[in-house]
Amino acid sequence: MTNLAELSVQGAVARLILNRPDQRNALSTDLLAAMHGAVELLEQSRGVTVLVVTGAGKSFCAGMDLRQVLIGDDRATWPGPQLLESLARFTVRLRGLPMVVVASVNGAAIGGGCGLACVADVCVSHADARIGYPEVDLGLCPAVVAPWVIRKVGPGKARRVLLAGGVMTGTEAHALGLVDHLAASVDELAPLTERLVGRLTSGGPTALRATKSLLNALDGSLDEASVLEGARLSAEVLGSPDAQRALSARRT
Amino acid sequence: MIRVEDEGDVRCITIARPDKRNALTTDMLASLGAAFEKTGSMRACVLLGEGPVFCAGFDLHEGAHDERMSALRDQLRGLSRTILAMRSLPCPVVVGAHGAAIAGGCALLGGADLVLADRGARFGYPVVRLGISPAITAPFLRQRVGDGAARAMLLDPGLIDAEGALRIGLVDEVLDSAEQVRHAAVARACALAGKPGVAEAQTRRWCSVLEPVEQAGEALQVSLDAIGRETFERMNREVWSR
Repeated sequence: MTNLAELSVQGAVARLILNRPDQRNALSTDLLAAMHGAVELLEQSRGVTVLVVTGAGKSFCAGMDLRQVLIGDDRATWPGPQLLESLARFTVRLRGLPMVVVASVNGAAIGGGCGLACVADVCVSHADARIGYPEVDLGLCPAVVAPWVIRKVGPGKARRVLLAGGVMTGTEAHALGLVDHLAASVDELAPLTERLVGRLTSGGPTALRATKSLLNALDGSLDEASVLEGARLSAEVLGSPDAQRALSARRT
Repeated sequence: MIRVEDEGDVRCITIARPDKRNALTTDMLASLGAAFEKTGSMRACVLLGEGPVFCAGFDLHEGAHDERMSALRDQLRGLSRTILAMRSLPCPVVVGAHGAAIAGGCALLGGADLVLADRGARFGYPVVRLGISPAITAPFLRQRVGDGAARAMLLDPGLIDAEGALRIGLVDEVLDSAEQVRHAAVARACALAGKPGVAEAQTRRWCSVLEPVEQAGEALQVSLDAIGRETFERMNREVWSR
């Protein structure tokens, strides 16, 4: 079986690759379980100061797996709420890691995928990446990612982005503040990421950990209650006939 | 090395140690704090740097080779006091951040209401390379640029340029040269001083009530606690032995 979330560690740098390229790295219960497993290892690791999260293939992460968010014939076995809760818990765990987390957004970062980009401490991408929160276009509510978008770009811009739906280019996301450093093209993203990683690993590990820990305290990042509440709200909207109709139409 | 000139109701404070890129010593930080604490009837303050660089941060050669790093601790306390004094003033504060505002120099922008810079200016906190945590500035910086941009700046020892600083809101206005920055900063301060005083003071006070800096003490403590063996070894290698 392929490793859905591929974790490798080289010296002070860990890399986590979402590895479901044929599904544009969409978040399924299996992929999220693998991501939780990787983060668990990182929580116990010593000596890692930087984690880079990226996607295999052309996409970063296309958001929730559409097959799992459709209710189908049997509501009792529908994994929707569990999927959202797993994502919610993952965001807080990722944020709580002691190392600096970089999202290297190599391609489409949609919905929950774009949420992960906002959870990272630093987000790098390229001009042509497609980034955004089209949830409302599909009758969905981006409640899990909302707290992270608000922290990343501020409440005013977050409101605009989350309520307007649609997707934007990497260039637009950079102007908005969602992307911190922008490469001119996809080919230049890897070197840009490596330069950033080089800078980050030059920092004193104790100083970095102390700074990150204070930042998490100041913005209330590790408060799980709001994202779990978001997961419940998001599941409720997802289970509504409106959303299910819009999603079915999208799939066919 | 801190020059204070009152002209009418505008106080102009200049960091004047251009041969050391206006690096701040403990004494300079004490003078700087005092200049913002006792402003009497001033209606605006402007902070400038002499020479090409606004401020390169702390003078890291103060207290060289001291294992306890008392000078660095005193500098951090002085910086925290200075930024708090800037924030506590009833009158607005304009900073002309030309050339470079690095580490402690960049942290001073956290006390400002309006920041001007020139196109070539650079900003950031490379001190994390020396094992120094810039946590002290976090409560102020996040209010100025938001949590996302503050995080990307404080964890990354790299510098950002004036365009990047304008994009995230660290800088409000970008001009062509250091000279223009100095002139414009004084002009903006005079314009602010000319507005009805009670309105300015009450608006500034109200903004501080709505967005208080409650964690300034905690943040200072994080920076103080992070000083240790790692800091000493890196300072010895990168600063004191050169």
